[in-house]
Amino acid sequence: MNNQKDKEKAKEESTQKVSINASESTANGAVAAQKSNPFLSFFSKIRSSLKNSSKETKQTLAYIAQRLVLMLITFIAIFFICFILIRLLPINADSGMKDPEIFYLNMVAQGRMEKVVDAAGKVTYRNIPVFRQLWTFLANLFTPGNSAPWGYSYKIEWLSSPADVLFKRLPPTVLINVYSMFISIPLGLLLGIYMALKKNKWQDHFLSVLVMLFISVPSFVYAFLLQYVFSYAWQILPAMRADASAGWFSFEMFRSMILPVLSMTFGSIAGFARYTRAELTEVLTSDFMLLARTKGLTRAQATVRHAFRNSLVPIFPMILGEIISVLSGSLIIENIFTVNGVGALFLQSIQTRDYDVFQFVAMFYILIGLVGTLVVDVSYGLVDPRIRMGSEK
Amino acid sequence: MALAKKNSLATAGISPTTPVLSKDLFVRYKDEKDLHDQAFETKPVSYLADCFKRFAKNKASIVAAVIIFLIALYAIIVPLASPRSHVDSVRYPNGYMDSNFSYVLPYNPLFKGTGFWDGTKTETKSQNDYQTMLYGDSNHSRFVKLLSTSETQVGFSTVKAYKVRVDTYAVGNKNVKLSPAQFADLTSYEKEHEIYRTPKSIMKPLVDVENYLANYETEIIADGVATSTAAGIIDFMRTYYNQNSNVYFALSAKTASGNYSQNRFSPILDSSGKPIDIYKHDGANHLIYEELVSGEYNVRVDYFDYATFRDGFEPYFIFGTNDAGQDIFLRLAKGTQFSLLLGVGISAINFIIGLIWGAMSGYYGGTADLIMERITDIISNIPSIIILSICSIQFTNNVALKAALGESGIIVLAFLVAFVYSGWVGVASTTRMQFYRFKGQEYVLASRTLGAKDGRLIFKHILPNAIGTLVTSSVLMIPGVIFSESSLSYLGIINFSTSGLSSIGSLLNEGQAAGLQYYPHVLLFPCIVISLLMISFNLFGNGLRDAFNTSLKGSED
Repeated sequence: MNNQKDKEKAKEESTQKVSINASESTANGAVAAQKSNPFLSFFSKIRSSLKNSSKETKQTLAYIAQRLVLMLITFIAIFFICFILIRLLPINADSGMKDPEIFYLNMVAQGRMEKVVDAAGKVTYRNIPVFRQLWTFLANLFTPGNSAPWGYSYKIEWLSSPADVLFKRLPPTVLINVYSMFISIPLGLLLGIYMALKKNKWQDHFLSVLVMLFISVPSFVYAFLLQYVFSYAWQILPAMRADASAGWFSFEMFRSMILPVLSMTFGSIAGFARYTRAELTEVLTSDFMLLARTKGLTRAQATVRHAFRNSLVPIFPMILGEIISVLSGSLIIENIFTVNGVGALFLQSIQTRDYDVFQFVAMFYILIGLVGTLVVDVSYGLVDPRIRMGSEK
Repeated sequence: MALAKKNSLATAGISPTTPVLSKDLFVRYKDEKDLHDQAFETKPVSYLADCFKRFAKNKASIVAAVIIFLIALYAIIVPLASPRSHVDSVRYPNGYMDSNFSYVLPYNPLFKGTGFWDGTKTETKSQNDYQTMLYGDSNHSRFVKLLSTSETQVGFSTVKAYKVRVDTYAVGNKNVKLSPAQFADLTSYEKEHEIYRTPKSIMKPLVDVENYLANYETEIIADGVATSTAAGIIDFMRTYYNQNSNVYFALSAKTASGNYSQNRFSPILDSSGKPIDIYKHDGANHLIYEELVSGEYNVRVDYFDYATFRDGFEPYFIFGTNDAGQDIFLRLAKGTQFSLLLGVGISAINFIIGLIWGAMSGYYGGTADLIMERITDIISNIPSIIILSICSIQFTNNVALKAALGESGIIVLAFLVAFVYSGWVGVASTTRMQFYRFKGQEYVLASRTLGAKDGRLIFKHILPNAIGTLVTSSVLMIPGVIFSESSLSYLGIINFSTSGLSSIGSLLNEGQAAGLQYYPHVLLFPCIVISLLMISFNLFGNGLRDAFNTSLKGSED
């Protein structure tokens, strides 16, 4: 789910939102309704209270605050939905549980089950209704000194807290994503610029076909291809990730990460190249470029100083989004190359039905998605103050 | 020139102080004729015809459409026409599979003998294995070609290794049990093909293993091997005979250095260099081909020929087989069918839901829009993998649902819920955007002024203008659904194994379980099909988008 393609889709959607809101401002009905909205009037009060700063900064801050609160509301709503759905799943101390006694003790302590002793003295455990569970959970969460509000891992790591399990899995994921980002962003931008400059020449046509291929072909296909060619047929690179004992920055670790990084990069490079090409060709044909050339700038000067900087307006937020999503691992790539990162943990928690870990990791993924969208939207406004996503007018 | 200037001054309303224009300067144009609109000389081009014309110009999209059509044809025709999907359902309750042909490599008759795509592979054999392979009495020799030999020094002895090309379809002879009716059929089949009791027959003479082993045991004990060691060697040799049913000859456990090996056996050769057979003979010294034990015939058959007789087709597989010996060509067709149907079906449902939702939120706007947007915000931020895994666990634990829908029904339902639940959000936002674009335009206002109701405005005036964009986005949704489905079933979040269904993703999962290192063909063909589908759908969708984009009209001519 969190592969390159999805990221790209999210970005495309967020760029679509720009145009939605641009058209929204022309739609009188929507604006009138937004003005009477209690939330928005609350924000306009905040806005008017910020008198000391300049008008522009105030507007930006209020806008960010507004988006933050909206994001929080969305997150809480999603959390409630997920909490209820996950707590409704059948749970018992099935086979593979290390110590059912402790499991049930914890379940009772966390208000998820109650002990029932029938007339024959037989002990069974009964689920508590899910809304009461939600209430207990919230109460526990805001009680200071409560050691494990998020529950425990019962399958992956006996009685560790889900947060600990997750943070242990972060380094490989972050490392792979960072490597892939360092390769794909510069290469993608450079390719895009080259294609835009060579527009409609054979170089552009050739690269466009390649970009189209790399965007369409699923990343697991080139992951398999790379793994087969480099690890099994030629045997020059390891097929699996090296274990962590060698240290995260050792050469051995780096070598074992080449293949997963490469298979993540291809789609990402192609995405950046296509986007940059589209933006830059649009800017290159605009009138101010003609003016720049007329006033005596060389083609290189005009391209770098005027065209490229302007084309970065929509690309910069895209890069920021990429940086945020460094934390979330790709399920498929981590599965193929046995990287025990966050994506693998997510999958493992589903397969072993370790519900507390599943819930925690799912919420982690959702939070990253939300923050990513928020940062992208806000940074549009910071890069180009004319853009206000979701603004009134 | 001067006249024109004065004229423009006059029309511009700059009051001329002296009127200099006299009436006779103006001549009436075509005064003598009536003015009429001219009739069109060309035929009017409808919107769709125009779109189609633009689409037909795009070569890549045409090729993509043809590829999609061919893949769909493959997915529909192969399960209908392949003899492998019409096998005896009593013998194969879960469809054709034969574990004796597990992991045979792809075989294409066009490439026979080339070493590529002809079902052969390269293996390295020890000397014993190599000799045993050469002397089998099967109709199909596993040995194809000797590529090279190598010698390595191990301790004091040299070990010879043979690099050979072997035919994976030559599975050799197998011991099978036949009912009297089946035995009679097989006998008449052999007689019909004039191979009955000939060297090319399907039924091979039985091998008298026990008799030989008893003799051999006394022989090696006489040679000075301890009784317990001899019993061990004989046990291993018995297992070896049972596992390799094409070994019809006497084996020796003696190595080149004169010791007895526990697990390495080589054929005993006679003076002419041929192995000595140990077939069973009856009292008249005739070979015995069958034994009737408790109502069933024990026979030793050449398995490839026997399978051809049994199933009515030669067990050659153009894409090879998987672990269970199922035909990948057929399974991939079924899987593609499932994936395509799922993709098209879910896209259609999402299209309808998204259209209604987006039209309402875009047309009415205001508070309705605000609330609906928040709902889609929440829905679209829950990844479908979470919903799918919750559905999958919940449904498989629900006994009543399982009884009502069956295993395969549950899988389809889980996919439906997971993909429909958030899939329509994309269509809804596109529709909403289109409605915002068109609802403020003058022609809508004009229609509204004339008294058109909401329904008429939505369906007659706004929707037809937006339909091109919407159709394109829903066509582009199909590869998205196929991709998500295949990645999620590849990851094993939905378990296909017991349901009898297969999808491209479940085949990928199988391929990874088989091991990319050893059996890449299991993974190769699903990968090719899904890549082709993704590329073609994207090209096709882009072609559609350009075709429906009227602003491109004439830009490329």
